[in-house]
Amino acid sequence: MKRKTNRFGIFYLSFFFVLLYLPILSVVLYSFNAGSSTAKWTGLTLDWYRQLFNDRVIGEAFTISIQVAVLTAFLSALLGTAAATISLTVTRKMKKVIQGLMLLPLLVPEVALGVSLLLFFNGLKLPFGHLTLVLSHSLFCVPYVYIMVLLRLQEIDASIIESARDLGATKWQAFQTIILPLIMPAIVTSSLLAIALSLDDVVISTYMSGPASTTLPVHIFSMMRVGVTPKVNALCTLILVGTFFIIGLNQLIGKSSKTGGYLIEKK
Amino acid sequence: MKTSKQNVLAIPLIIWFGLLVGVPLVYVVVLSFLSRDNLGNIILQFTLENYEKILDPIYLRVFVNSFLLAVLTGLLTLLIGYPVAYITAKLAPKQKNMVIGLIMLPFWISSLLRVYGWIILLGNTGLINNVLLALNLVDKPLPLMYKFSTTLIGTVYMLIPFMIIAVYNSVDKLDQSLLEASYDLGASKWKTFFNIVLPLTIPGIAGGFTLVFIPALGLYFISDLLGGGQTIFLGNLINTLVNRGRNRPLAAAFSVGMILLVVLIISVYSRIAKDKGEGLFR
Repeated sequence: MKRKTNRFGIFYLSFFFVLLYLPILSVVLYSFNAGSSTAKWTGLTLDWYRQLFNDRVIGEAFTISIQVAVLTAFLSALLGTAAATISLTVTRKMKKVIQGLMLLPLLVPEVALGVSLLLFFNGLKLPFGHLTLVLSHSLFCVPYVYIMVLLRLQEIDASIIESARDLGATKWQAFQTIILPLIMPAIVTSSLLAIALSLDDVVISTYMSGPASTTLPVHIFSMMRVGVTPKVNALCTLILVGTFFIIGLNQLIGKSSKTGGYLIEKK
Repeated sequence: MKTSKQNVLAIPLIIWFGLLVGVPLVYVVVLSFLSRDNLGNIILQFTLENYEKILDPIYLRVFVNSFLLAVLTGLLTLLIGYPVAYITAKLAPKQKNMVIGLIMLPFWISSLLRVYGWIILLGNTGLINNVLLALNLVDKPLPLMYKFSTTLIGTVYMLIPFMIIAVYNSVDKLDQSLLEASYDLGASKWKTFFNIVLPLTIPGIAGGFTLVFIPALGLYFISDLLGGGQTIFLGNLINTLVNRGRNRPLAAAFSVGMILLVVLIISVYSRIAKDKGEGLFR
């Protein structure tokens, strides 16, 4: 190996990572700035965090976001696992149809998807709120559950299931007692991913929120449009901490089951 | 033997996804051909007016802006990301995993936070201007925000991990013996790169380009926050038409246009992938 290129390579990578993380770090840094502008550093403070906890609107938006995220994760886990399991029993053509339909939301730009859902739900006279948020969020979460569970299912030795069936287990029993425990880590990690994706969504939520159901990102977006305030920085920093908590949880599950760690390694 | 009888289980799934994905998309296409009355209500009357409007130079300009943004984002992520992917693929396995982890990590960090970070960096009282002023390199803050290029910085920053991972997978699979053979036959490093590595990683490049291009068309909150509405993109226009203009048929027509752009890029991609016998969406 030639040393010279290696050194240049390390330099380039380091430079890249500085640029990748600088914006994130500066948000965190300025959340502790006493002054309300980024122009000057006027000393450390936790005031912005205190203001945040007293803000009722943000508290409500946060509650709605968490509710929506958890419901989305449940629905996506259910649908994604069902789709993955069923797609292994149907004909190849049918599998392609399922896959195509499910991956479609990832291929359509979010604005177009959001608008189409808005117009459609509007046409159906569905009330905008939790229901529309969960339904729309599950659309872009299910494909990830599907892919992760499918990968895990394909690793399972078919002979285990065959012997269970030979010993008299029904199809459902075989699924419940053998397959489900084996794919559980994949279901859990992909549900965590669904929570993260749902909590982060801005574009589709803008269209799906009802008058009384603004999600946190939609609210943050409107705050950011007004301008830079350290309060937004503080809020973003707290969300960052939450994100790291989810990632840590995922890595933990990954380590204990040896199949996880999906959040970082695979998408 | 799998028979069509076993497909019965799939029917509820197809209905569910068909209802939530297929039907809304068809509905948008239908809506784009309908008219509206003075109050903005949709009336059942066939018209091509919405599509005629799209061809109006003012609106066509929006298409060009979005297309340009998406293409430039693709090219810049490739230019910056390719070396990152290439260098990463050459690292030792342990370092490799760590670097890939660091590249993917921002994905899980709130996208609003990441865009907001650039406002903190690029604003008139932002970090970059603060440093430049403190070093006396400039005497008044450089106007870095609210430009086409600011939006471009944002989209490149947000989407570059997609490009890196796609190219990385391609480089990582490369048969090392081909490179050794090239060196043994006396080819220089650059010659080997351009004649062997680059052509073999084209599927990865095409895949990355597609993955970057599609969201770049529609991430309107980036252009909203960083571009400040100076340049109008498809996403912003659709958003305004739906929320404020209440011209839903026209918004639908623009959505159809946007989806057609996506279909175009995917068909280009699948042609390249087919040629090379690979696929991203298999």
